[in-house]
Amino acid sequence: MLFKIAWRNIWRNKMRSIVVIASVATGLFAGMFMMAFFVGMINQEIDSEVETTLSHIQMHNPAFPDDKAANFTIDSGQQIVAHLRKDVNVKAVSARVITTGMISSSSTATGAEIHGVVAADEQAISSIAQDMREGVYFSEGKHNEIVMGEKLAQKLGVKLHSKVVLTFQSRNGDLTAGSFRVAGIFRSRNSGFDETTVFTRFEDLAPLLETGEGIHEIAVMLRSGTTAAAMAGSLKKEYPALLIQTWTELSPEIALVTGVFDQIMYILIGIILLALMFGIINTMLMAVLERQREFGMLMAIGMNKKRVFSMVVLETILLTCAGIPAGILLTIGAVAYLGRHGIDLSSYSQGLMQYGFSNRVFPQLQTSMFLPITVMTAVTAVLSAIYPALKALQFKPATAIHKI
Amino acid sequence: MSYIIETHDLSKVYNPDTTPVYAVNGVNLRVEEGEFTALVGPSGSGKTTLLNLVGGLDYPTHGDVQISGVDITRMSENKLIDFRLHHIGFVFQAYNLIPVLTASENVEFVMLMQRIPKREREQRARQLLGEVGLNDKLHNRPSELSGGQQQRVAVARALASKPRFILADEPTANLDSKSTENLLEIMAKLNREDKMTFIFSTHDQRVIDKARRVITLVDGKIVSDTKQ
Repeated sequence: MLFKIAWRNIWRNKMRSIVVIASVATGLFAGMFMMAFFVGMINQEIDSEVETTLSHIQMHNPAFPDDKAANFTIDSGQQIVAHLRKDVNVKAVSARVITTGMISSSSTATGAEIHGVVAADEQAISSIAQDMREGVYFSEGKHNEIVMGEKLAQKLGVKLHSKVVLTFQSRNGDLTAGSFRVAGIFRSRNSGFDETTVFTRFEDLAPLLETGEGIHEIAVMLRSGTTAAAMAGSLKKEYPALLIQTWTELSPEIALVTGVFDQIMYILIGIILLALMFGIINTMLMAVLERQREFGMLMAIGMNKKRVFSMVVLETILLTCAGIPAGILLTIGAVAYLGRHGIDLSSYSQGLMQYGFSNRVFPQLQTSMFLPITVMTAVTAVLSAIYPALKALQFKPATAIHKI
Repeated sequence: MSYIIETHDLSKVYNPDTTPVYAVNGVNLRVEEGEFTALVGPSGSGKTTLLNLVGGLDYPTHGDVQISGVDITRMSENKLIDFRLHHIGFVFQAYNLIPVLTASENVEFVMLMQRIPKREREQRARQLLGEVGLNDKLHNRPSELSGGQQQRVAVARALASKPRFILADEPTANLDSKSTENLLEIMAKLNREDKMTFIFSTHDQRVIDKARRVITLVDGKIVSDTKQ
């Protein structure tokens, strides 16, 4: 019957109860939507990084990442690539030669990381070919073509078909240079990457580097990113002489950002719930104070303090419980719509792209979000109920009965 | 002779340190089982305060209250609540029913707190509401009942816990004459047939006329105590 009284009591003042339910639903929605927004944003960032630069696993000569000298190639790289292509977990493999050098146009020069790639293989592993703004991702049958980011093209003052010169050290330490024509200009989601990375064909760059069949980097894209750690583990056993890293090891800052965002999200949700808590306390306190006579009567006829306390807590929990499903439904609806259409942040695109974030965010709901946030909201409800419930216990039946 | 209620030098003083007000001043009272007693006196004479002290709703400043030989003034608040639940019935001036429960549920509520099984509760609630003439109002909420009907539900609720006595604070103050007559008949019948002890405060001459003992209070003191 205590449940029945509590449930009926919350509908005594419908408008007030609806306001509390709406604030619980809004609070929950705000918390969960914010999480969905950040999860979407980070997942897009991870996908972007994996598809643009990292891939799931990279294999190097252990000395290469620090020095990037042309002579630090992977022994029997081509056999390893062929072997990886047979693995069912592997979606695509790309062999690269990489060096750092200068890129010069007729007006200026700047530093760049030069990737020599097999166009067909690279397209299966990287999204750069889909990010072309002008030209093509290498033309059929032409040599000495270069593909560069829009930012770098602007910096160098070059356009499509312009000529640039790449200067770098060959395997033997000689300074060597090659002339390349701009075949395509891309714009990825990471403006930093666009400003520093250029692509040439493997067969054009390797002779200049004098690496022959040598490979500097093997990029592996798996069918599922979740198997990256396990796959890297087995590759390490198979090729102990190589440096084998997953994308989280290659880009620890992404994992750090994910962790930091997680903490920020919980802090923000905590702040929302704290504000919600004061709202609930206010409403329940009003409900308790205006029912002083009733509480006095209940204690007079023998309702003990434990029951009075439980009744106020129960009323608060029931109010909150009505708000929780409403908040969850609101979030599911909003995320379903915005997850399809995205949220346009183009007015902040410059700042976002600097950090590799897309200017259209597609929120993503994770089922693992529901439990912690629902529990946090329920705990907020219980905590909010404590003060009004204690207040109800302070009433003296003899005086409370006569309150109007 | 054993008394159901005994008070010894009972006093309740408000503002004892500044301007002391003696709401009840050295009252010695003995009530036997089966009495039908009216507390009368002008407003502010201490009737309600005395009922509160006797009913364990308030603690006295001096003196003690014994219910069937048990001193309730030494009890903790929680023990006192439990004592009230099992030994004392209350009827208030403003009915004070639980607005979200039906008449039957209001009566059952007290028995629920006494942990009486559901079936027994429902049966007794029906029987008590029948005794006060509300057979047809079992499932009505207080807002759907007249003042007189609400007060009869309050009497049924007071009886539900099988108390030793019922305290009624101006039970007819908000009722019209017909409802007053009706309520008094019910209370008198319960007193006559079931030997239920009633103590009520009142200003109403019709209620005073029905009482078999009339105690008059002035300035917190008993100035007359007559049996009629």
